[in-house]
Amino acid sequence: MTLTPVITEHWDAPDLYTIEGYRRFGGYRALESALKQDPDAIITTIKDSGLRGRGGAGFPTGLKWSFVPQNDGKQHYLVVNADESEPGACKDIPIMMANPHALVEGVIISSFAIRANHAFIYIRGEVPNALRKVANAVAEARRAGYLGTNVLGSGFDIDIVVHAGAGAYICGEETALLDSLEGFRGQPRLKPPFPAVAGLYASPTVINNVETICNIPYIIDRGLDWFRQFGTEKSPGFKVWAVSGHVNNPGIFEAPLGITMRQLLEYAGGVRGGGNVKFWLPGGSSVPLLTAEHLDLPLTYEEMAAAGTMLGTGTPMIFDDTVSVVKAVTRWLEFYKHESCGKCTPCREGTYWITGMLETFEHGHGRESDLELLVSACNQIAGRSFCALGDAAATPYPAALKYFRDEFVAATHTPVDDTFDPVASYIHAGAAAR
Amino acid sequence: MAELPQAVRGFWVTFATMFKKVVTEQYPEDSHKYPTQPRFHGRHQLNRWADGLEKCVGCELCAWACPADAILVEGASNTDEERFSPGERYGRVYQINYARCIFCGLCIEACPTRALTMTNAFELAEDNRASLIYEKQDLLAPLLAGMQLPPHDMVPGTTEQDYYANRVKGPAAVEGEVQS
Amino acid sequence: MTENTTTEIVPTVSVTIDGVALQVPKGTLAIRAAEMIGVEIPRFCDHPLLEPVAACRACLIEVEGMPKPQPACAQVVGEGMTIRTQQSSEVAKDAQEGVMEFLLINHPLDCPVCDKGGECPLQNQAMSAGRGESRFEGEKRTFDKPINVSAQILLDRERCVSCARCTRFADQIAGDPMIELLERGAQQQVGTASDEPFDSYFSGNTVQICPVGALTSAAYRFRSRPFDLVSVPTTCEHCASGCSLRTDYRRGVVTRRLAWDSPEVNEEWNCDKGRFAFAYLAEGRITTPLVREDGELRPASWPEAIDVAARGLAAAGSRTGVLTGGRLTQEDAYGYAKFARAVLGTDSIDFRARATSPEETQFLRAAVAGAPIGVTYTALEQAPFVLLVGFEPEDESPIVFLRLRKARTRVVSVGAVATRGLDKMGGELLAALPGQEAAALRDLPADIRAALEQPGAVILAGERIAASAGAPSAVSTLAASTGAALAWVPRRAGERGALDAGALAGLLPGGRPLIDAQARAQVAAIWGIDTAALPGLPGLSGDDLLTSASRVGLSALLVAGVDPVDLPDPALALRAVDTAAFVVALDHHHSAVTERADVVLPVALVTEKSGTFLDWEGRPRPFGQVFKDALTMSDATVLGMIASAIGTSAGAWDVNGIRRELTALGPWQGARAVVPGVQPQAAAGAGFRLASWRELLDAGVLQEGEPFLAATARPSAAIVSAAAAARLGSPATVTVTGPAGSVTLPLEVGAVLDDVVFVPMHSSECSIYRDLGARIGTAVDVTAGGAA
Repeated sequence: MTLTPVITEHWDAPDLYTIEGYRRFGGYRALESALKQDPDAIITTIKDSGLRGRGGAGFPTGLKWSFVPQNDGKQHYLVVNADESEPGACKDIPIMMANPHALVEGVIISSFAIRANHAFIYIRGEVPNALRKVANAVAEARRAGYLGTNVLGSGFDIDIVVHAGAGAYICGEETALLDSLEGFRGQPRLKPPFPAVAGLYASPTVINNVETICNIPYIIDRGLDWFRQFGTEKSPGFKVWAVSGHVNNPGIFEAPLGITMRQLLEYAGGVRGGGNVKFWLPGGSSVPLLTAEHLDLPLTYEEMAAAGTMLGTGTPMIFDDTVSVVKAVTRWLEFYKHESCGKCTPCREGTYWITGMLETFEHGHGRESDLELLVSACNQIAGRSFCALGDAAATPYPAALKYFRDEFVAATHTPVDDTFDPVASYIHAGAAAR
Repeated sequence: MAELPQAVRGFWVTFATMFKKVVTEQYPEDSHKYPTQPRFHGRHQLNRWADGLEKCVGCELCAWACPADAILVEGASNTDEERFSPGERYGRVYQINYARCIFCGLCIEACPTRALTMTNAFELAEDNRASLIYEKQDLLAPLLAGMQLPPHDMVPGTTEQDYYANRVKGPAAVEGEVQS
Repeated sequence: MTENTTTEIVPTVSVTIDGVALQVPKGTLAIRAAEMIGVEIPRFCDHPLLEPVAACRACLIEVEGMPKPQPACAQVVGEGMTIRTQQSSEVAKDAQEGVMEFLLINHPLDCPVCDKGGECPLQNQAMSAGRGESRFEGEKRTFDKPINVSAQILLDRERCVSCARCTRFADQIAGDPMIELLERGAQQQVGTASDEPFDSYFSGNTVQICPVGALTSAAYRFRSRPFDLVSVPTTCEHCASGCSLRTDYRRGVVTRRLAWDSPEVNEEWNCDKGRFAFAYLAEGRITTPLVREDGELRPASWPEAIDVAARGLAAAGSRTGVLTGGRLTQEDAYGYAKFARAVLGTDSIDFRARATSPEETQFLRAAVAGAPIGVTYTALEQAPFVLLVGFEPEDESPIVFLRLRKARTRVVSVGAVATRGLDKMGGELLAALPGQEAAALRDLPADIRAALEQPGAVILAGERIAASAGAPSAVSTLAASTGAALAWVPRRAGERGALDAGALAGLLPGGRPLIDAQARAQVAAIWGIDTAALPGLPGLSGDDLLTSASRVGLSALLVAGVDPVDLPDPALALRAVDTAAFVVALDHHHSAVTERADVVLPVALVTEKSGTFLDWEGRPRPFGQVFKDALTMSDATVLGMIASAIGTSAGAWDVNGIRRELTALGPWQGARAVVPGVQPQAAAGAGFRLASWRELLDAGVLQEGEPFLAATARPSAAIVSAAAAARLGSPATVTVTGPAGSVTLPLEVGAVLDDVVFVPMHSSECSIYRDLGARIGTAVDVTAGGAA
């Protein structure tokens, strides 16, 4: 399958991040045509396109928009979730750095469709350069008359606020993000009411991922048929794949959904030093891991679900033979333990307990009986926590145990650093070390 | 032998016994050794930490465990000016009524700080009931070498946890790492 | 859950829980629906009076059609829903047991020494919904223990299960979001801002609703265990809110008091004063009768003291003044009312130990005494509009404050200070200089008048209307002209009961006018005396009574629990006591009055007697005796003994007998006095006007002996507007000078009218009556600095 650069098409243009650069490649053309349409028609277009959320859950975007009650006389809000902090996920930040105007244009069109006059872009606070790029793009768009009152004479008013988060993974959860945006401590909210009914400031709110929103101008500009020619029936369109880990040429590859990991690996130059894929994750640490036998599965929402994992953010991480799965799982759980917001018991206490047990394995004094206890503890979190963070934390270990039980058994007597040279697994150890 | 009168057989037992080892202990004339086993449940003792502070925190669990309702405890708060035990509370009033005590030992099992233990002392007879009520000063362990009579401060630099973990070994001596 | 007082039919939905089909009101939460069939689902964060949060996940249940277990505390029951709890679902049981195991992994094994042990929801539910054995063998996370979130409230963070009940209470109910969850994950903990302790008037409730022993109070910490305690339901004696309390005692000493359920009144809450101010019950009591001999008080036997008192009072007869104070039960106040009229033949009796006015006396006779229950808490909750006059609910009747806050009613306060409490109720201030409320009510803006004309609108008049000339008349007129309901909210617990018992000149029990022949006949019949023996004309009250006594107009005084410092002219009161030839004091603690009395008779406090307080609604709040074997006698019993010694029996003097007499009399149905018609008066003098009231926590006698509570009181300060502060040069301290003296206080800028200074009426630092000689509305001097 060939690469299909769309959002990433002109990333090599040095001035793409400026409004002139963006317009040179047809930027803001979609906005002009969108503003002439009926907002409901845009919602229908997006519904028909089959675009699914690129933030991880894959919820159909058009359907999400249609949940917003229209003509209710209330203020509506569009919130862009740019709090990309999933371990292994690195796609939204590059998009915002290289092509921020695609995001801005998408926000304006989306706001017009859901009849929102205020939009917020909530950017992870640790990436000030992305923040500056987007803030600059918003300022440029405002000067160009794409933002403000009566945009392009359409009578539509829109303004965008760029907001920096304060460094909490939980604020990537949409309702926690809303709390954070409102100035409260970022913790997920009780649903219902869902954000589409009572979200930001208790008003109907749509929350979309950066990549999802960046798709909108291209769909509007180039049409449904163009969009649906990519991907599969249930997963139409293209995707920005950010391949990382033990590959020779890690980076961002835009290709249709349905591409296989093996094809992506080829684009990424194969495993470093010609080694083997030991295990890999399709999209961030929150999805169950897969092994080399799954490399030929099409990367679509439905195929990944069938394989017992999820497409997630679509940012594959590749691990070669130098990596101890015990250590990798322990690091992920330490992350979830650190990032658990503390609101609900299963996630708060479960991550504490599981991490503690995994650390005993890492140091070579795990107990074999704890292998099943860990599964049981994970099952006590999964499906019972307040939000998806708990579910995510319960994910890595059971999958790792399924494929690599022997390694965990070995870790009952030998520290993993004795089995796997930690230096060899470093990215910068490179092929030369082998 | 069958014809030997019963009385003579009886005297024979008496005679033979004169040459056996005596097991009777001459109490109290010969009281240089206590006739008790080490595990004997005798009079209680309220113990001290190595620096002399009291172990009792006034929690009253002993009183609650007591099936004979023989123990009365009233706790009070330590202050920085007047400290009797590490931590927040100490036993201000501690009474055991030996007219009621059945020496079952449930109280010492209940004690969370090992403040209350039982000694082998069993000479508790009195000629009046009032004297059978032992007050705190009657029950407190004697001050051993290095111990100071409370109230006084905790060993500088220590917390109550250091005491409970038995890291305090004397008025100035602390063993191992001290939690800050 | 609010009571459903309307008669409209609530729509119901059908639901099946554990195979049992039932109908529940629409909107019912699954956890409550399950309770209806006797299934108790474990819970920690859930509280019926707080918004659901579904954080603890202890209440997970299986709902048919939903892929994951759902929290019962947030799951609204839908039509046709099939719910399976732990009783019938392995999924729910497993989920609940899993959460319980998680909750316990970081919970310390403090139970043997924890105050909550024995009444701990975590203990109980770990037993009922846990697995019995934990599989956790790691190291628990620990914190330094305990930390003070306020002087009174201590927090053992490692015991906390992060249910957020305390923080949600502080935010949703009290409106004092001074505690919040900090940090995240297993390090999540409750905390305060570093320089802002949890000095909420309602902080004690968090200790009560904490489902573990994480929050404890300095007053009760390590004092006792629940199974040591004997619990008695009682009524709070601290204010006229009428809270139900539970009093727990051990070894003859009250160890703690809890808010008790009373959905119609205090719901499940109370204020910190009611909860923690009980040390006075045990400390500093007068233990024996005292008789003055050769100028010195000496202990005497009861028969001797009664004899001396009886002779002295009999000699003075109708030339006796009776001051009862505001803390008596209705039965005791009735005893004084009867003793004055039937035994002494005097009508000079007043229950008000505070600023009064003849206008207020008239108002109380006409509009309040013996009136049936009109405005209730529920009515407040449903009112579209509430006007406050001379009334600061958070300080003067905290439960009224909580109810107004809960209702989110539009509240307008006529006054000079936009207080923190008003802000928390979302209320507005209608500016009126202190003492000038009547003028503001006369010139009421049209929108407020229109709001008062809505059905259900309420005017709440506080006791401070007495200090504002024309205000009692104005509220009466306003209520009559707009149709709004009028309620009088006194501050002290005993005032409404004393008023209805007839402990005010001109009034017989039940609101009966003294001068009405039929009323006289009814009362005389019950008391078994001749109608002619009752005083013929209304006696003295308020300032007149004291003035008369100070000029030898009265030859004896009978005083019960009146502290002269509470009166607007303490010097006059002391002069009256000094001048009177014979003074009998019935009291439990020594005061300036007992020091000067000829006979001091110790009386019972609320724990030693049974009785009734009428709350501000007029609702009887009876309570039983806590210490059944107490040797002290109630005021009425002592008065009965004096009456016997004098030779007049006049019916019953015991609680039950008095209750029978009160029931037999009932409220007065005949003609009442007319409401006063006093016109507003223009302010006199120049300078700052003094605004003042009794703050909830102050130097009150009943708060003695509780230093931790006192430390949570608001610091005393002179509060002026920003403009006034700038005029003064924004000094750190100011000196407020009144007619009799001055005090130096820290200066605070607040939402106060210009030319108004707020000074607490009776705090530990200053008392306006004693130190300034000023009353509410008096012009005072405020100058920068001073001898701080």
